[in-house]
Amino acid sequence: MTNEWRAICDKFTNAQNLTEIESRNDKENDPFRSKYKARELLREIYCEEEGGGETGLRAARLGAVEYYLGVNHVDTEELSAGQEHLMNCMKLLERCRVSSPNVSLFIQVRNQLGILWAGRDETETAQGFLETAESIYQRYMKEDGSPPTDMTEYFAAEENLLTHQERIKRFELAYTHTMYYLAQVYKNLGQTERAATYCHTTLQRQLQLNQFTPMEWALNAATLSQYYITKGRYMEGRHCLSAATVISDLAGEVPSEAAAQENETESERREHLRQKRAEIARCWIKYCLNLLQDAKKQLEDNIGELDTDRQEELKRARRREEEEEEKGRKSALLFGSEDTFDSIASIEEKVMCLFPLDFTEARSVFLVGQNHVTQAKDYFQMDGYVTDHIEILQDHSALFRSLAFFEEDLERRCKMHKRRVDMLEPICNDLNAQYYLMIRRQLMFELAETYNEMMDLKLALANRQADTQSLDNHTIKKFNHLCSASAKYFQMFLDSLCSPEGKFPERLEEEVLRPALVARFRVARLHSRLISTSPTVQLDNLNKSLENYKYVVQYCEANPEAGAAVETELELSKEMVGLLPLKINRLNARMDSNN
Amino acid sequence: MTSVRVAVRVRPLNKREKQLSSKVIIHMKEKTTTIQKPTVRGDELKGVGKTFSYDFSYDSSDRRSPTFASQEKIFRDLGFEVLKAAFEGCNACVIAYGQTGSGKSYTMMGPSHDKGLIPRICEGLFWEISHRSKSDAVTFHTEVSYLEICNERVQDLLKKRASPADDGGLSVREHPRHGPYVENLSKHVVQSYSEVEGLIILSNANRTTASRGVNDFSRRSHAIFTIMFTQVWFDAEPLYETVSKIHLVDLAGSEKVDPTRTVGGRLKESADINKSLVTLGHVISALADLGVGVSTTKPIFIPYRDSVLTWLLKDSLGGNSKTTMIATVSPADVNYMETLNTLRFASRAKNIVNSPIVNDNGSVKVMRELQAEVTKLNQLLKEPTQVGREVPLSSVDVKEKLNETKSLQVVALTKNRSSTWRETLNILQEETVTLRKEGSGVVLDCCLPHLIAVGEDLQKTGITLYYLKEGRTIIGSGKASCTQDIVLHGPGLLSVHCVLENIAGTVTLFPQDGALCLVNGSVVTDPCQLTQGAIIQLGKGATLWFNQPTASQLRLKYESGLPSVFSPSVTDSSNSTENLSKAMVQNRGYKDAIKLTALVTDKSANLASQRS
Repeated sequence: MTNEWRAICDKFTNAQNLTEIESRNDKENDPFRSKYKARELLREIYCEEEGGGETGLRAARLGAVEYYLGVNHVDTEELSAGQEHLMNCMKLLERCRVSSPNVSLFIQVRNQLGILWAGRDETETAQGFLETAESIYQRYMKEDGSPPTDMTEYFAAEENLLTHQERIKRFELAYTHTMYYLAQVYKNLGQTERAATYCHTTLQRQLQLNQFTPMEWALNAATLSQYYITKGRYMEGRHCLSAATVISDLAGEVPSEAAAQENETESERREHLRQKRAEIARCWIKYCLNLLQDAKKQLEDNIGELDTDRQEELKRARRREEEEEEKGRKSALLFGSEDTFDSIASIEEKVMCLFPLDFTEARSVFLVGQNHVTQAKDYFQMDGYVTDHIEILQDHSALFRSLAFFEEDLERRCKMHKRRVDMLEPICNDLNAQYYLMIRRQLMFELAETYNEMMDLKLALANRQADTQSLDNHTIKKFNHLCSASAKYFQMFLDSLCSPEGKFPERLEEEVLRPALVARFRVARLHSRLISTSPTVQLDNLNKSLENYKYVVQYCEANPEAGAAVETELELSKEMVGLLPLKINRLNARMDSNN
Repeated sequence: MTSVRVAVRVRPLNKREKQLSSKVIIHMKEKTTTIQKPTVRGDELKGVGKTFSYDFSYDSSDRRSPTFASQEKIFRDLGFEVLKAAFEGCNACVIAYGQTGSGKSYTMMGPSHDKGLIPRICEGLFWEISHRSKSDAVTFHTEVSYLEICNERVQDLLKKRASPADDGGLSVREHPRHGPYVENLSKHVVQSYSEVEGLIILSNANRTTASRGVNDFSRRSHAIFTIMFTQVWFDAEPLYETVSKIHLVDLAGSEKVDPTRTVGGRLKESADINKSLVTLGHVISALADLGVGVSTTKPIFIPYRDSVLTWLLKDSLGGNSKTTMIATVSPADVNYMETLNTLRFASRAKNIVNSPIVNDNGSVKVMRELQAEVTKLNQLLKEPTQVGREVPLSSVDVKEKLNETKSLQVVALTKNRSSTWRETLNILQEETVTLRKEGSGVVLDCCLPHLIAVGEDLQKTGITLYYLKEGRTIIGSGKASCTQDIVLHGPGLLSVHCVLENIAGTVTLFPQDGALCLVNGSVVTDPCQLTQGAIIQLGKGATLWFNQPTASQLRLKYESGLPSVFSPSVTDSSNSTENLSKAMVQNRGYKDAIKLTALVTDKSANLASQRS
């Protein structure tokens, strides 16, 4: 090796060092100092290299210098100059055939051009460069596949050349970046499905090439599952979550409380691991919840009850779906390295990804969800994590709600709703009304509806047992209690809208418009359902009912745009405003005649 | 309720900008702010600038200008609201956002000779307290704390640090009764403005200490000044108190932080590509977010940890707080990109408050029940009244109510009101048809399969609807001796022209020998099952439109172009009609085809005038 060559190699190493390490310590008022120095060195290398050498390699070397100069200019916010250098690199490569000494450069220069053009809002141009990079990689792997030279090796002394393994690693990493950039480009182009596939591929490559941090990877996979859930793709969702669970275990054991108390690093590690695991558990909860809710949507009739014809139909269709699932699995993009593949599959087996069609199936999904609820709550405790804790409880309640749909026994169904009340009611009453206003409103609405549901069930049960008409006193009492409780929470919701002086707003804000009018409507309905033998009480209830129906009608008259938000409620309220006075009159008349 | 107020403020050119002979590219007019794109070669500014509209645009670029917005003016506009909220017992929050050196701290804290919002608000608070405590039987309690968030670590600015190494950072938590809080953050009871001033001086000292050795610390850190303000009325029974929390926030320089990450709400990101794989999580999160946007409201969880700042401001950004955002910008062309970004962010800032939605699930069932009740009550109207006194009252009532609810303006069209009314009522009580109003049209819903005569006779003003009862319906010209169910007139009609058979809602047409029947334009001679919307031509003139309620609902999504008077109803009541039809098809048959005189379009002028 000549001294000249060695000098060039040193310059290059120096430039790399300046760019990657020293630049981090540059002062705020001179932020590109090291990068400018690196640029000078690169220019010198360029001048010396321009002279001679064998053509193919020389072109690649010069191309690499142009590449580094391009990146350097982009980093120092001189985009046009950066683009010029990168395009020079492209021109130099034009003359070469893709082969192991230059394929890495072929791909990386396109990655850089993709970033550059995306930054200028020219997403399609970026897409062009990146997609070319993708096809170059694929062709190379098909036709050649030998470990390619890394760009740093163009200017490395013999003893510093990389091992085959290291070469492969770097090359594959560059391509992983291509995948990642394409994911972003597709996302920006609105092609979310494709974007998701490329994110999936990126994750898969990280795993396969062992280039990942377990917990970070696991969390990303869990997040991706949430995307698939929104698309109703439960098989992919489950796969991501199962992989997340398996990979998160690679992050190691959670340090014990005792260990955490002794040592701050351990304490932080404990906190970190517990939090991330709890977050993955929350993703699982959403999986189970959505699966149940979507199944319910498929199975319910127009009043929200189980449609048994539909159930039979779907069960018949199931066999076909199972076959498709098998096929889907074979063609889908699967995560896993040799040692994780089986563990992922065994977690997948524990929960179904097809819609549960009967109580037994629904229950199995529910139980998985409930397990994760326990796990998530263990970290997100009420004391310290109020909002998170409550959201988990709300999910738990929603899991019960979905399960109740599948339950045929009304008594047991009622008990499930009771569980919901038991978990939400104390919290709703304990929370600070000012800081947790929004959460409390949600809870009030949910409690009101749950009590309503229980009331209906109690009545249905009573009607089923006795011959209609005569409800016994106990049942009436129970019914009225549930009815009042439901009305109470709707009213509480309405009261939460009042000003500090206790005045109900004249104009409802958009985000509470519908809930507020619906609450009024429901309060009206509930008052008219209360059972009483006393005509005076009846009259009182009917008047309260009328008053609330009137509010809905009058509000929509004064604010016509509100009508669209509560179309059916308004229509029915109008009818009731017309009809209830008649009922009231009759009751009055009867009372008069009795006197 | 929350809506974020947004203000933009532009400062004067600074020394450096003047040295560079920068051009002013920000112009304000009333509520709008316009930014000009600087041209590269120094030639005349050309092309149109971008204009943004905010709640307030403050031009503080030139002290001599008549429109100069002083600290006092800003306090009057924005600070008063904060004080009002405090005394009302509401939470309030002011957030300053902008590039480093654009005047954030000047606006929030200000120098001693030109105080900013924080000192002025405190001053105002104590002035008002002294004023009120004279008259009302109320006591006040004011506590302040001041913290700084740097690299997601929280530091107390009002506590002397034992040693420089003691920067463990405080953790943020949420308490069920006390809301979000910072553990071990010092709180200082203050009785006067001068005490606050003392604390502010202390905090400045702490900020300087911390910044030693690090590049311009304040650029990278957020500062939150919090006032906890309690009012207690002792004479009230029970004891009455209000607590108001006021956050005054000075964000880190916008060039250092991504506003979408720091201030909650994820806004649309730019087209930039993130280079490092470390950011993969953000990309996936954004993707999952997009998924929710498109596919309604599936509940999902995105494990994207809120920044400490978002966490602390939860109750301010979450709904029941009066929130104000002040974006500060430089007027100079050299800062064009940063300024534009700030203006853009500010124009979207209204969206950063994302209030959770209340979902109502149970309404469908309730409405179905209520619909049944309405029907029942309507039935009640029909019953003879038992109590004599009620008669005159209720009959007027009934008429009026029906007029209102069913929107039947038919009355005006007939001479003998009462008899027509009774007939109409009877028809409506059959429960197979309902009339309702949709915009200026009257919609006739029928739950049995039926035919509607079209283009029959141009002179006629009514619309005729023929039910198809369960079983056979004979259609003919009425000349024969046997009784046809539906009598039509027109050339080419035989006495018994065809038979329609309705079996559980499936209707089949059986043409009689020699009768000309066309379904959807094709001649049929063999039995032919009718499908929703089929046009049937019998003989040479009579044309009927076949309508089947169940099927029609399925097709609703695809067909909205039908004339409104005929179109099946789109609202929820169609569901109930469907239900009714299921029940009734089984056991009810209708002998007569009921002819119903409803409104037609040439009467709509009449209708409109009646309504007005």
